[in-house]
Amino acid sequence: MEILPKTRVELRLRVHLGPHVVEDLTTPAQHATLPAPVLLAFAPLHRMALGVAAGVVYGGIMFLLTEILVLKGGYPLGPNLALFGEFFYGYTVSFTGGFVGLAWGFGIGFMLGWGFAVVHNLVIWVWLVIIRSQAEMEQYGDFLDHM
Amino acid sequence: MERDTLQEDTQLGKAVVRLNAKLLGIVTGLLLGIGLFLATVFLVLKGGPDPGVHLGLLSQFFPGYKVTYLGSFIGFGYAFLTGYLIGVVLGAVYNKVARI
Repeated sequence: MEILPKTRVELRLRVHLGPHVVEDLTTPAQHATLPAPVLLAFAPLHRMALGVAAGVVYGGIMFLLTEILVLKGGYPLGPNLALFGEFFYGYTVSFTGGFVGLAWGFGIGFMLGWGFAVVHNLVIWVWLVIIRSQAEMEQYGDFLDHM
Repeated sequence: MERDTLQEDTQLGKAVVRLNAKLLGIVTGLLLGIGLFLATVFLVLKGGPDPGVHLGLLSQFFPGYKVTYLGSFIGFGYAFLTGYLIGVVLGAVYNKVARI
């Protein structure tokens, strides 16, 4: 059923009988793909990818910092960097400690990256919902003005 | 309308942001570089008998860096390079994993 009033608003109604949609007035032409800029603006971050990337970076930094100090030598060996051992169980400024730092760094980095992506995607989703609501309100507001 | 919304959601669900690794590197590099530059200059301006004892520990990894005016520029260079590498690795690994 299609009603085209004098207003600029085109009403499209679907008649529902039970769970089945009897009439669907939307045409395939209306289901065009979203333009690339829109996808670029609203596309979500890949959670796993950002987690792995941040983990690699943070783990790599911990490993490099530790091994640089080990190679430089001296006594005491990296007393300030060793303070990470307060949070990273088993971490020491030593050759093997570098690998422990790598593992801890990867874990922490992964959580940070993954968490950042989740929050980023959540904000994008909320933003999208707000934009859609505003568009619908404008559409229906225009319709009610002509009633 | 409802179906369009669902289709948009499906398209957005399949889409994934790709990062520009070089751009991310430059941005991260500038952030770190300017951050270290400002931190160093701030401590130098504050003065005191031994300014920036803890920040000066960066010289362990950045040879030539000191908490002085000249050191702030050296620190900027080192921090920019470090940040650039971080950004490039982050972007490259992200794009690689996101493509899988």
